Amino acid sequence: MNSLERLKHRLRGEGVDRPPNLDIVMTFAAHHIGRPLSQFYLDHRVLVDANLCVAEDFNLDIVQAISDPFREAADFGLEVDFPSDSLPVNRKPLLVAPEDIKKLVAPNPATGPRMSDRVEATRLFREKVGGELPIMGWVEGALAEAADLRSVYETMKDLIQRPLWLEELLEICVQVAIAFARVQVEAGADIIGLGDAVASQISPAMYRRFALPYEQRIFQAVHEMGALARLHICGNTNRIIADMVESGADIIDLDWMVDMKCAAEQFGNKVSFLGNMDPVAVMLQGTPAKVLAATAYCMKVGGPRAISGAGCEVPDGTPHENFHAQSRALSKIGGFEG
Amino acid sequence: MDGIPPENFVTMIEAVHKYGRYGPLGKNKEKTMDKTIETIYTGILDGNQHLVAQQVTEALNAGLSPDLILKNGLVAAMSEVGRLFENGEYYVPEMLIAARAMQAGLKLLKPSLADTGVKAVGRVVIGTVAGDLHEIGKNLVGMMLEGAGFEVIDLGTDIKPEAFVNAVREYKPDIMAMSALLTTTMPNMEATIKALEGAGLRKQVKVIIGGAPITEEYANRIGADGFGYDASLAVKVARSLIGG
Repeated sequence: MNSLERLKHRLRGEGVDRPPNLDIVMTFAAHHIGRPLSQFYLDHRVLVDANLCVAEDFNLDIVQAISDPFREAADFGLEVDFPSDSLPVNRKPLLVAPEDIKKLVAPNPATGPRMSDRVEATRLFREKVGGELPIMGWVEGALAEAADLRSVYETMKDLIQRPLWLEELLEICVQVAIAFARVQVEAGADIIGLGDAVASQISPAMYRRFALPYEQRIFQAVHEMGALARLHICGNTNRIIADMVESGADIIDLDWMVDMKCAAEQFGNKVSFLGNMDPVAVMLQGTPAKVLAATAYCMKVGGPRAISGAGCEVPDGTPHENFHAQSRALSKIGGFEG
Repeated sequence: MDGIPPENFVTMIEAVHKYGRYGPLGKNKEKTMDKTIETIYTGILDGNQHLVAQQVTEALNAGLSPDLILKNGLVAAMSEVGRLFENGEYYVPEMLIAARAMQAGLKLLKPSLADTGVKAVGRVVIGTVAGDLHEIGKNLVGMMLEGAGFEVIDLGTDIKPEAFVNAVREYKPDIMAMSALLTTTMPNMEATIKALEGAGLRKQVKVIIGGAPITEEYANRIGADGFGYDASLAVKVARSLIGG
Protein backbone atom coordinates (compact mmCIF):
# COMPACT_ATOMS: atom_id res chain seq x y z
CA MET A 1 0.00 0.00 0.00
CA ASN A 2 1.58 3.30 -1.03
CA SER A 3 0.88 6.64 0.63
CA LEU A 4 -1.73 7.73 -1.88
CA GLU A 5 -3.64 4.47 -1.51
CA ARG A 6 -3.25 4.66 2.25
CA LEU A 7 -4.80 8.13 2.33
CA LYS A 8 -7.67 7.30 0.00
CA HIS A 9 -8.56 4.17 1.95
CA ARG A 10 -8.37 6.02 5.23
CA LEU A 11 -10.65 8.81 4.02
CA ARG A 12 -13.27 6.19 3.24
CA GLY A 13 -12.82 4.56 6.63
CA GLU A 14 -11.40 1.42 5.01
CA GLY A 15 -8.54 -0.72 6.28
CA VAL A 16 -4.99 0.59 6.04
CA ASP A 17 -1.60 -0.71 7.19
CA ARG A 18 -1.17 2.38 9.37
CA PRO A 19 -2.82 5.78 9.71
CA PRO A 20 -1.34 8.29 7.26
CA ASN A 21 0.88 11.12 8.45
CA LEU A 22 0.11 14.45 6.78
CA ASP A 23 2.27 16.78 8.88
CA ILE A 24 2.85 20.24 7.44
CA VAL A 25 6.56 21.00 7.06
CA MET A 26 8.02 24.24 5.76
CA THR A 27 10.95 25.85 7.59
CA PHE A 28 11.86 22.45 9.03
CA ALA A 29 12.06 20.98 5.53
CA ALA A 30 14.31 23.73 4.14
CA HIS A 31 16.77 23.43 6.99
CA HIS A 32 16.60 19.64 6.93
CA ILE A 33 18.39 19.74 3.57
CA GLY A 34 20.62 22.60 4.66
CA ARG A 35 19.10 25.28 2.45
CA PRO A 36 18.29 28.85 3.50
CA LEU A 37 14.63 29.74 3.71
CA SER A 38 14.74 32.26 0.87
CA GLN A 39 15.66 29.48 -1.55
CA PHE A 40 12.79 27.36 -0.25
CA TYR A 41 10.35 30.23 -0.88
CA LEU A 42 11.69 31.34 -4.25
CA ASP A 43 12.88 28.18 -5.99
CA HIS A 44 10.41 25.34 -6.40
CA ARG A 45 13.26 22.85 -6.98
CA VAL A 46 14.51 23.46 -3.44
CA LEU A 47 11.00 23.14 -2.04
CA VAL A 48 10.51 19.84 -3.88
CA ASP A 49 13.88 18.42 -2.79
CA ALA A 50 13.20 19.40 0.81
CA ASN A 51 9.78 17.77 0.83
CA LEU A 52 10.95 14.55 -0.77
CA CYS A 53 13.77 14.28 1.72
CA VAL A 54 11.54 14.88 4.76
CA ALA A 55 8.89 12.48 3.46
CA GLU A 56 11.50 9.76 3.09
CA ASP A 57 13.38 10.41 6.33
CA PHE A 58 10.29 10.69 8.55
CA ASN A 59 7.74 8.50 6.72
CA LEU A 60 5.40 11.31 5.79
CA ASP A 61 2.54 10.42 3.49
CA ILE A 62 2.52 13.72 1.66
CA VAL A 63 4.56 16.18 -0.34
CA GLN A 64 3.34 19.73 -0.30
CA ALA A 65 3.70 22.99 -2.18
CA ILE A 66 2.82 25.11 0.85
CA SER A 67 5.59 27.52 1.84
CA ASP A 68 4.32 30.89 3.09
CA PRO A 69 1.13 32.98 2.95
CA PHE A 70 2.37 35.47 0.35
CA ARG A 71 2.20 33.60 -2.96
CA GLU A 72 -1.03 35.19 -4.17
CA ALA A 73 -0.48 38.49 -2.34
CA ALA A 74 2.95 39.03 -3.91
CA ASP A 75 1.47 38.50 -7.36
CA PHE A 76 -1.31 40.94 -6.50
CA GLY A 77 1.54 43.43 -5.98
CA LEU A 78 2.24 43.24 -2.25
CA GLU A 79 5.86 44.09 -1.44
CA VAL A 80 7.45 41.07 0.18
CA ASP A 81 11.10 40.84 1.22
CA PHE A 82 12.93 37.54 1.46
CA PRO A 83 15.80 37.76 3.92
CA SER A 84 18.37 35.08 3.26
CA ASP A 85 17.38 32.69 6.01
CA SER A 86 14.30 33.96 7.76
CA LEU A 87 10.60 34.29 7.07
CA PRO A 88 9.24 36.53 4.31
CA VAL A 89 8.53 40.04 5.48
CA ASN A 90 5.81 42.47 4.46
CA ARG A 91 6.01 45.89 6.06
CA LYS A 92 3.22 47.75 4.28
CA PRO A 93 -0.17 46.42 3.22
CA LEU A 94 -1.25 46.74 -0.39
CA LEU A 95 -4.68 48.05 0.55
CA VAL A 96 -3.75 50.87 2.91
CA ALA A 97 -7.01 52.72 2.30
CA PRO A 98 -10.33 51.11 1.34
CA GLU A 99 -10.37 52.97 -2.00
CA ASP A 100 -7.15 51.17 -2.98
CA ILE A 101 -9.37 48.24 -3.90
CA LYS A 102 -10.12 50.04 -7.17
CA LYS A 103 -6.47 49.61 -8.19
CA LEU A 104 -6.41 45.91 -7.35
CA VAL A 105 -5.74 43.68 -10.36
CA ALA A 106 -6.27 39.94 -9.97
CA PRO A 107 -3.09 38.05 -10.87
CA ASN A 108 -2.92 35.22 -13.38
CA PRO A 109 -1.75 32.17 -11.41
CA ALA A 110 -0.15 30.64 -14.49
CA THR A 111 2.14 33.62 -15.03
CA GLY A 112 2.45 35.38 -11.65
CA PRO A 113 6.06 34.73 -10.56
CA ARG A 114 5.30 33.36 -7.12
CA MET A 115 2.09 31.54 -7.97
CA SER A 116 3.55 29.89 -11.07
CA ASP A 117 6.55 28.78 -8.99
CA ARG A 118 4.14 26.83 -6.78
CA VAL A 119 2.52 25.36 -9.89
CA GLU A 120 5.95 24.26 -11.06
CA ALA A 121 6.56 22.63 -7.69
CA THR A 122 3.36 20.66 -8.12
CA ARG A 123 4.39 19.63 -11.63
CA LEU A 124 7.82 18.48 -10.45
CA PHE A 125 6.25 16.51 -7.61
CA ARG A 126 4.09 14.71 -10.18
CA GLU A 127 7.14 13.84 -12.24
CA LYS A 128 8.97 12.44 -9.25
CA VAL A 129 6.31 10.81 -7.05
CA GLY A 130 2.97 11.13 -8.85
CA GLY A 131 0.62 8.28 -7.98
CA GLU A 132 2.73 7.25 -5.00
CA LEU A 133 2.71 10.16 -2.54
CA PRO A 134 -0.28 12.50 -2.30
CA ILE A 135 0.70 15.87 -3.75
CA MET A 136 -0.81 18.83 -1.95
CA GLY A 137 -1.20 22.23 -3.57
CA TRP A 138 -2.21 25.20 -1.49
CA VAL A 139 -4.33 28.36 -1.64
CA GLU A 140 -5.15 31.10 0.81
CA GLY A 141 -8.78 31.21 1.89
CA ALA A 142 -10.53 34.37 0.74
CA LEU A 143 -10.57 35.90 4.22
CA ALA A 144 -6.93 35.03 4.86
CA GLU A 145 -6.00 36.52 1.50
CA ALA A 146 -7.93 39.70 2.29
CA ALA A 147 -5.93 39.94 5.53
CA ASP A 148 -2.68 39.41 3.60
CA LEU A 149 -3.53 42.34 1.33
CA ARG A 150 -5.08 44.63 3.93
CA SER A 151 -3.32 43.51 7.18
CA VAL A 152 -4.91 41.37 9.86
CA TYR A 153 -5.39 44.39 12.09
CA GLU A 154 -7.41 46.40 9.55
CA THR A 155 -9.33 43.34 8.35
CA MET A 156 -10.51 42.65 11.90
CA LYS A 157 -11.96 46.15 12.01
CA ASP A 158 -13.33 45.94 8.45
CA LEU A 159 -15.44 42.95 9.53
CA ILE A 160 -17.49 45.32 11.65
CA GLN A 161 -17.00 48.71 10.02
CA ARG A 162 -17.20 48.02 6.29
CA PRO A 163 -18.65 44.55 5.75
CA LEU A 164 -19.89 45.25 2.22
CA TRP A 165 -16.50 46.55 1.16
CA LEU A 166 -14.90 43.46 2.65
CA GLU A 167 -17.26 41.22 0.73
CA GLU A 168 -16.23 43.00 -2.46
CA LEU A 169 -12.60 42.17 -1.64
CA LEU A 170 -13.48 38.58 -0.72
CA GLU A 171 -15.12 38.12 -4.11
CA ILE A 172 -11.88 39.07 -5.85
CA CYS A 173 -9.89 36.78 -3.55
CA VAL A 174 -12.16 33.77 -3.99
CA GLN A 175 -11.90 33.94 -7.76
CA VAL A 176 -8.11 34.06 -7.59
CA ALA A 177 -8.10 31.12 -5.17
CA ILE A 178 -10.22 28.99 -7.51
CA ALA A 179 -8.07 29.87 -10.52
CA PHE A 180 -4.92 29.11 -8.50
CA ALA A 181 -6.33 25.78 -7.34
CA ARG A 182 -7.21 24.85 -10.90
CA VAL A 183 -3.70 25.29 -12.33
CA GLN A 184 -2.25 23.32 -9.41
CA VAL A 185 -4.67 20.44 -9.94
CA GLU A 186 -3.92 20.48 -13.66
CA ALA A 187 -0.21 20.32 -12.80
CA GLY A 188 -0.69 17.29 -10.58
CA ALA A 189 -2.09 18.22 -7.15
CA ASP A 190 -4.17 15.43 -5.56
CA ILE A 191 -5.19 17.67 -2.68
CA ILE A 192 -5.75 21.40 -2.41
CA GLY A 193 -5.11 22.71 1.09
CA LEU A 194 -6.76 25.95 2.07
CA GLY A 195 -5.40 28.11 4.88
CA ASP A 196 -7.80 30.49 6.61
CA ALA A 197 -5.99 31.25 9.84
CA VAL A 198 -7.77 34.48 10.74
CA ALA A 199 -11.06 32.58 10.85
CA SER A 200 -10.24 31.31 14.34
CA GLN A 201 -10.20 34.89 15.65
CA ILE A 202 -13.77 35.77 14.71
CA SER A 203 -17.21 34.82 15.97
CA PRO A 204 -19.15 31.88 14.54
CA ALA A 205 -21.63 34.33 13.01
CA MET A 206 -18.82 36.19 11.26
CA TYR A 207 -17.25 32.92 10.16
CA ARG A 208 -20.53 31.89 8.57
CA ARG A 209 -20.74 35.15 6.65
CA PHE A 210 -17.15 36.06 5.78
CA ALA A 211 -15.23 32.76 5.59
CA LEU A 212 -17.43 29.70 5.17
CA PRO A 213 -19.27 30.62 1.95
CA TYR A 214 -15.96 31.29 0.20
CA GLU A 215 -14.39 28.07 1.51
CA GLN A 216 -17.46 26.22 0.20
CA ARG A 217 -17.09 27.76 -3.25
CA ILE A 218 -13.39 26.92 -3.45
CA PHE A 219 -13.89 23.34 -2.26
CA GLN A 220 -16.81 22.76 -4.58
CA ALA A 221 -14.61 23.87 -7.47
CA VAL A 222 -11.73 21.67 -6.20
CA HIS A 223 -14.02 18.66 -6.13
CA GLU A 224 -15.26 19.42 -9.64
CA MET A 225 -11.58 19.45 -10.69
CA GLY A 226 -11.27 15.94 -9.25
CA ALA A 227 -9.05 16.73 -6.25
CA LEU A 228 -9.46 16.40 -2.50
CA ALA A 229 -9.94 19.41 -0.21
CA ARG A 230 -8.16 20.07 3.09
CA LEU A 231 -9.15 22.91 5.42
CA HIS A 232 -6.50 24.33 7.76
CA ILE A 233 -7.47 26.96 10.32
CA CYS A 234 -4.81 27.58 12.97
CA GLY A 235 -5.95 28.34 16.48
CA ASN A 236 -8.89 27.45 18.64
CA THR A 237 -11.76 26.44 16.35
CA ASN A 238 -13.87 24.58 18.91
CA ARG A 239 -16.76 26.98 18.38
CA ILE A 240 -16.81 26.69 14.58
CA ILE A 241 -16.17 22.98 14.07
CA ALA A 242 -19.77 22.29 13.07
CA ASP A 243 -19.57 25.09 10.49
CA MET A 244 -16.17 23.95 9.22
CA VAL A 245 -17.68 20.55 8.49
CA GLU A 246 -20.12 22.34 6.18
CA SER A 247 -17.20 23.69 4.11
CA GLY A 248 -17.17 20.45 2.13
CA ALA A 249 -13.55 19.67 3.04
CA ASP A 250 -12.52 16.01 2.95
CA ILE A 251 -9.88 16.65 5.62
CA ILE A 252 -10.17 19.17 8.43
CA ASP A 253 -7.02 20.05 10.37
CA LEU A 254 -7.48 20.59 14.09
CA ASP A 255 -4.99 22.72 15.98
CA TRP A 256 -3.80 21.45 19.33
CA MET A 257 -6.29 23.40 21.44
CA VAL A 258 -9.27 21.78 19.75
CA ASP A 259 -11.00 18.81 21.37
CA MET A 260 -10.39 16.12 18.72
CA LYS A 261 -12.39 13.53 20.62
CA CYS A 262 -15.45 15.74 20.73
CA ALA A 263 -15.07 16.76 17.07
CA ALA A 264 -14.72 13.13 15.95
CA GLU A 265 -17.65 11.95 18.05
CA GLN A 266 -19.91 14.54 16.49
CA PHE A 267 -18.72 14.67 12.89
CA GLY A 268 -16.26 11.79 12.37
CA ASN A 269 -18.74 10.05 10.09
CA LYS A 270 -18.79 13.02 7.72
CA VAL A 271 -15.16 14.08 7.48
CA SER A 272 -11.60 13.06 8.37
CA PHE A 273 -10.03 15.07 11.15
CA LEU A 274 -6.29 15.60 11.11
CA GLY A 275 -4.34 16.31 14.22
CA ASN A 276 -3.67 17.36 16.66
CA MET A 277 -0.53 17.26 18.78
CA ASP A 278 0.76 20.55 20.14
CA PRO A 279 3.50 21.46 17.65
CA VAL A 280 5.48 23.35 20.30
CA ALA A 281 4.91 21.61 23.63
CA VAL A 282 4.89 18.10 22.13
CA MET A 283 6.85 18.10 18.87
CA LEU A 284 9.40 20.83 19.51
CA GLN A 285 9.83 20.76 23.27
CA GLY A 286 8.51 17.31 24.16
CA THR A 287 10.19 13.92 24.32
CA PRO A 288 9.79 10.86 22.08
CA ALA A 289 7.66 9.28 24.80
CA LYS A 290 5.40 12.34 24.82
CA VAL A 291 5.07 12.26 21.02
CA LEU A 292 4.29 8.53 21.04
CA ALA A 293 1.56 9.00 23.63
CA ALA A 294 0.06 12.04 21.92
CA THR A 295 0.02 10.38 18.49
CA ALA A 296 -1.61 7.25 19.87
CA TYR A 297 -4.20 9.29 21.76
CA CYS A 298 -5.16 11.37 18.72
CA MET A 299 -5.58 8.29 16.52
CA LYS A 300 -7.62 6.56 19.21
CA VAL A 301 -10.08 9.39 19.74
CA GLY A 302 -10.11 10.46 16.08
CA GLY A 303 -11.67 7.20 14.93
CA PRO A 304 -11.16 5.07 11.82
CA ARG A 305 -10.86 8.02 9.43
CA ALA A 306 -8.46 10.11 11.51
CA ILE A 307 -5.17 11.30 10.06
CA SER A 308 -2.05 12.03 12.05
CA GLY A 309 -0.42 15.43 12.16
CA ALA A 310 0.72 18.18 14.46
CA GLY A 311 -1.88 20.90 15.06
CA CYS A 312 0.07 23.22 12.81
CA GLU A 313 3.44 23.34 11.04
CA VAL A 314 6.08 21.08 12.57
CA PRO A 315 8.44 23.75 13.93
CA ASP A 316 11.96 24.25 12.75
CA GLY A 317 14.30 22.70 15.29
CA THR A 318 11.99 19.83 16.16
CA PRO A 319 14.28 17.02 17.39
CA HIS A 320 14.53 14.22 14.85
CA GLU A 321 13.85 11.61 17.52
CA ASN A 322 10.50 13.29 18.20
CA PHE A 323 9.58 13.26 14.53
CA HIS A 324 10.62 9.59 14.29
CA ALA A 325 8.51 8.85 17.35
CA GLN A 326 5.37 9.95 15.50
CA SER A 327 6.18 7.52 12.71
CA ARG A 328 6.88 4.71 15.19
CA ALA A 329 3.61 5.36 16.95
CA LEU A 330 1.65 5.10 13.70
CA SER A 331 3.36 1.83 12.75
CA LYS A 332 2.61 0.47 16.19
CA ILE A 333 -1.05 1.45 15.94
CA GLY A 334 -1.11 -0.42 12.66
CA GLY A 335 -4.12 -0.93 10.54
CA PHE A 336 -7.82 -0.88 10.88
CA GLU A 337 -9.82 -3.50 9.10
CA GLY A 338 -12.56 -1.45 7.55
CA MET B 1 -48.11 37.46 40.48
CA ASP B 2 -51.66 37.10 39.28
CA GLY B 3 -54.09 39.98 39.78
CA ILE B 4 -51.72 42.95 39.38
CA PRO B 5 -53.73 45.83 37.92
CA PRO B 6 -52.57 46.63 34.35
CA GLU B 7 -52.31 50.35 35.18
CA ASN B 8 -49.54 49.55 37.66
CA PHE B 9 -47.46 48.06 34.85
CA VAL B 10 -48.08 51.20 32.80
CA THR B 11 -46.88 53.37 35.72
CA MET B 12 -43.78 51.22 36.12
CA ILE B 13 -42.91 51.45 32.41
CA GLU B 14 -43.40 55.22 32.48
CA ALA B 15 -41.12 55.48 35.50
CA VAL B 16 -38.40 53.51 33.72
CA HIS B 17 -38.67 55.83 30.73
CA LYS B 18 -38.58 58.89 32.97
CA TYR B 19 -35.74 57.95 35.29
CA GLY B 20 -33.68 55.45 33.36
CA ARG B 21 -32.02 52.40 34.86
CA TYR B 22 -30.85 54.16 38.00
CA GLY B 23 -34.22 55.53 39.08
CA PRO B 24 -34.86 59.02 40.50
CA LEU B 25 -31.57 60.32 41.92
CA GLY B 26 -32.94 63.59 43.15
CA LYS B 27 -30.02 65.69 41.95
CA ASN B 28 -29.84 66.43 38.24
CA LYS B 29 -26.05 66.44 38.25
CA GLU B 30 -25.82 62.95 39.65
CA LYS B 31 -28.34 61.77 37.10
CA THR B 32 -26.36 63.39 34.29
CA MET B 33 -23.17 61.92 35.69
CA ASP B 34 -24.54 58.42 35.75
CA LYS B 35 -26.07 58.72 32.33
CA THR B 36 -22.92 60.14 30.76
CA ILE B 37 -20.70 57.48 32.28
CA GLU B 38 -23.17 54.81 31.31
CA THR B 39 -23.10 56.10 27.75
CA ILE B 40 -19.29 56.02 27.77
CA TYR B 41 -19.45 52.46 29.10
CA THR B 42 -21.90 51.22 26.49
CA GLY B 43 -20.16 53.25 23.78
CA ILE B 44 -16.95 51.33 24.46
CA LEU B 45 -18.75 47.99 24.44
CA ASP B 46 -20.27 48.97 21.08
CA GLY B 47 -16.91 50.20 19.76
CA ASN B 48 -18.34 53.66 19.04
CA GLN B 49 -15.25 55.84 19.31
CA HIS B 50 -16.97 59.07 18.27
CA LEU B 51 -19.68 58.70 20.89
CA VAL B 52 -17.12 57.90 23.58
CA ALA B 53 -14.97 60.91 22.69
CA GLN B 54 -18.00 63.18 22.68
CA GLN B 55 -19.29 61.88 26.01
CA VAL B 56 -15.88 62.10 27.72
CA THR B 57 -15.64 65.74 26.60
CA GLU B 58 -19.16 66.34 27.88
CA ALA B 59 -18.37 64.67 31.20
CA LEU B 60 -15.24 66.77 31.68
CA ASN B 61 -17.10 69.96 30.76
CA ALA B 62 -19.78 69.05 33.29
CA GLY B 63 -17.09 68.94 35.94
CA LEU B 64 -17.05 65.22 36.57
CA SER B 65 -13.95 63.80 38.19
CA PRO B 66 -11.50 62.45 35.58
CA ASP B 67 -10.72 59.61 37.96
CA LEU B 68 -14.40 58.66 38.09
CA ILE B 69 -14.74 58.79 34.30
CA LEU B 70 -11.68 56.57 34.01
CA LYS B 71 -12.67 54.00 36.60
CA ASN B 72 -16.44 53.80 36.18
CA GLY B 73 -16.43 54.42 32.44
CA LEU B 74 -13.29 53.29 30.64
CA VAL B 75 -11.80 50.72 33.01
CA ALA B 76 -15.16 49.19 33.90
CA ALA B 77 -16.06 48.86 30.22
CA MET B 78 -12.76 47.24 29.28
CA SER B 79 -13.08 44.87 32.20
CA GLU B 80 -16.45 43.84 30.77
CA VAL B 81 -14.87 43.49 27.31
CA GLY B 82 -12.32 41.11 28.86
CA ARG B 83 -15.07 39.10 30.49
CA LEU B 84 -17.04 38.87 27.26
CA PHE B 85 -13.87 37.76 25.44
CA GLU B 86 -13.15 35.07 28.01
CA ASN B 87 -16.75 33.86 27.72
CA GLY B 88 -16.56 33.64 23.94
CA GLU B 89 -19.11 36.39 23.41
CA TYR B 90 -16.56 38.84 22.02
CA TYR B 91 -13.83 37.95 19.56
CA VAL B 92 -10.86 39.86 18.26
CA PRO B 93 -12.83 42.26 16.00
CA GLU B 94 -15.21 43.31 18.78
CA MET B 95 -12.33 43.61 21.23
CA LEU B 96 -10.29 45.73 18.84
CA ILE B 97 -12.96 48.29 18.12
CA ALA B 98 -13.92 48.47 21.81
CA ALA B 99 -10.29 49.11 22.71
CA ARG B 100 -10.02 51.75 20.03
CA ALA B 101 -13.10 53.52 21.42
CA MET B 102 -11.58 53.36 24.90
CA GLN B 103 -8.37 54.90 23.55
CA ALA B 104 -10.33 57.74 21.95
CA GLY B 105 -11.76 58.57 25.37
CA LEU B 106 -8.48 58.07 27.19
CA LYS B 107 -6.65 60.46 24.87
CA LEU B 108 -9.03 63.25 25.90
CA LEU B 109 -8.93 62.25 29.53
CA LYS B 110 -5.16 62.03 29.94
CA PRO B 111 -4.39 65.75 30.42
CA SER B 112 -7.09 66.01 33.10
CA LEU B 113 -5.83 62.87 34.83
CA ALA B 114 -2.34 64.37 34.93
CA ASP B 115 -3.67 67.73 36.20
CA THR B 116 -5.55 66.08 39.03
CA GLY B 117 -2.61 63.86 39.97
CA VAL B 118 -4.26 60.56 39.11
CA LYS B 119 -1.55 57.96 38.71
CA ALA B 120 -1.57 54.89 36.49
CA VAL B 121 -1.79 51.57 38.31
CA GLY B 122 1.57 50.67 36.78
CA ARG B 123 3.83 51.26 33.82
CA VAL B 124 4.40 48.67 31.09
CA VAL B 125 6.78 48.61 28.14
CA ILE B 126 5.62 46.22 25.46
CA GLY B 127 6.86 44.98 22.10
CA THR B 128 7.20 41.99 19.83
CA VAL B 129 10.61 40.34 20.01
CA ALA B 130 13.38 40.61 17.44
CA GLY B 131 12.40 39.19 14.07
CA ASP B 132 8.68 39.13 14.80
CA LEU B 133 6.43 41.56 12.95
CA HIS B 134 3.10 40.13 14.11
CA GLU B 135 1.63 42.93 16.14
CA ILE B 136 -2.02 42.16 16.63
CA GLY B 137 -1.59 40.19 19.85
CA LYS B 138 0.80 42.76 21.24
CA ASN B 139 -1.60 45.57 20.32
CA LEU B 140 -4.53 43.83 21.97
CA VAL B 141 -2.59 43.22 25.18
CA GLY B 142 -1.37 46.82 25.18
CA MET B 143 -4.86 48.20 24.74
CA MET B 144 -6.34 45.92 27.37
CA LEU B 145 -3.62 46.99 29.82
CA GLU B 146 -4.38 50.63 29.05
CA GLY B 147 -8.02 49.87 29.59
CA ALA B 148 -7.13 48.47 33.01
CA GLY B 149 -5.45 51.72 34.01
CA PHE B 150 -1.83 50.93 33.13
CA GLU B 151 0.43 53.38 31.38
CA VAL B 152 1.62 51.54 28.27
CA ILE B 153 4.73 52.39 26.31
CA ASP B 154 4.51 50.53 23.01
CA LEU B 155 7.95 49.93 21.55
CA GLY B 156 6.46 48.40 18.39
CA THR B 157 7.56 45.29 16.51
CA ASP B 158 10.89 43.55 15.89
CA ILE B 159 12.43 44.86 19.12
CA LYS B 160 16.00 43.74 19.69
CA PRO B 161 17.06 42.66 23.20
CA GLU B 162 19.20 45.79 23.64
CA ALA B 163 16.23 48.00 22.70
CA PHE B 164 14.11 46.34 25.40
CA VAL B 165 16.99 46.87 27.86
CA ASN B 166 17.29 50.53 26.91
CA ALA B 167 13.55 51.01 27.33
CA VAL B 168 13.64 49.47 30.80
CA ARG B 169 16.54 51.73 31.71
CA GLU B 170 14.82 54.83 30.33
CA TYR B 171 11.20 54.34 31.37
CA LYS B 172 11.69 52.31 34.55
CA PRO B 173 8.53 50.27 33.98
CA ASP B 174 6.95 47.93 36.50
CA ILE B 175 6.44 45.36 33.77
CA MET B 176 8.13 44.48 30.51
CA ALA B 177 5.85 42.54 28.14
CA MET B 178 7.11 40.55 25.15
CA SER B 179 5.09 38.94 22.39
CA ALA B 180 6.05 36.34 19.76
CA LEU B 181 3.86 34.54 17.25
CA LEU B 182 6.52 32.31 15.78
CA THR B 183 8.48 29.40 17.14
CA THR B 184 11.45 30.81 15.28
CA THR B 185 11.34 34.15 17.14
CA MET B 186 10.32 32.73 20.51
CA PRO B 187 13.96 32.12 21.59
CA ASN B 188 14.50 35.90 21.44
CA MET B 189 12.40 36.16 24.59
CA GLU B 190 15.03 34.23 26.47
CA ALA B 191 17.78 36.29 24.83
CA THR B 192 16.05 39.48 25.99
CA ILE B 193 15.73 38.25 29.56
CA LYS B 194 19.41 37.34 29.52
CA ALA B 195 20.23 40.81 28.18
CA LEU B 196 18.25 42.32 31.06
CA GLU B 197 20.23 40.19 33.49
CA GLY B 198 23.47 41.20 31.80
CA ALA B 199 22.57 44.86 32.22
CA GLY B 200 21.79 44.33 35.90
CA LEU B 201 18.15 45.35 35.40
CA ARG B 202 16.34 42.04 35.78
CA LYS B 203 15.33 42.57 39.40
CA GLN B 204 13.90 46.01 38.67
CA VAL B 205 11.15 44.79 36.38
CA LYS B 206 8.62 41.98 36.09
CA VAL B 207 8.64 40.19 32.75
CA ILE B 208 5.50 38.79 31.14
CA ILE B 209 5.34 36.96 27.82
CA GLY B 210 2.67 35.73 25.46
CA GLY B 211 1.89 34.62 21.92
CA ALA B 212 0.56 31.58 20.07
CA PRO B 213 3.51 29.21 20.66
CA ILE B 214 4.14 30.26 24.27
CA THR B 215 3.30 27.95 27.14
CA GLU B 216 3.47 28.42 30.88
CA GLU B 217 6.17 25.78 30.98
CA TYR B 218 8.25 27.78 28.50
CA ALA B 219 7.70 30.99 30.48
CA ASN B 220 8.95 29.28 33.62
CA ARG B 221 11.90 27.75 31.84
CA ILE B 222 13.23 31.06 30.49
CA GLY B 223 12.69 32.86 33.79
CA ALA B 224 9.69 35.04 32.93
CA ASP B 225 7.50 36.15 35.83
CA GLY B 226 4.21 35.59 34.08
CA PHE B 227 2.46 34.21 31.01
CA GLY B 228 -0.81 35.42 29.53
CA TYR B 229 -2.72 32.90 27.43
CA ASP B 230 -4.71 35.73 25.88
CA ALA B 231 -5.09 39.51 26.14
CA SER B 232 -7.66 39.36 28.90
CA LEU B 233 -5.65 36.97 31.05
CA ALA B 234 -2.49 39.02 30.44
CA VAL B 235 -4.17 41.89 32.29
CA LYS B 236 -4.92 39.66 35.27
CA VAL B 237 -1.32 38.46 35.34
CA ALA B 238 -0.02 42.03 35.14
CA ARG B 239 -2.30 43.14 37.96
CA SER B 240 -1.24 40.23 40.15
CA LEU B 241 2.44 40.96 39.55
CA ILE B 242 2.18 44.51 40.81
CA GLY B 243 -0.05 43.49 43.66
CA GLY B 244 -3.15 45.04 42.12
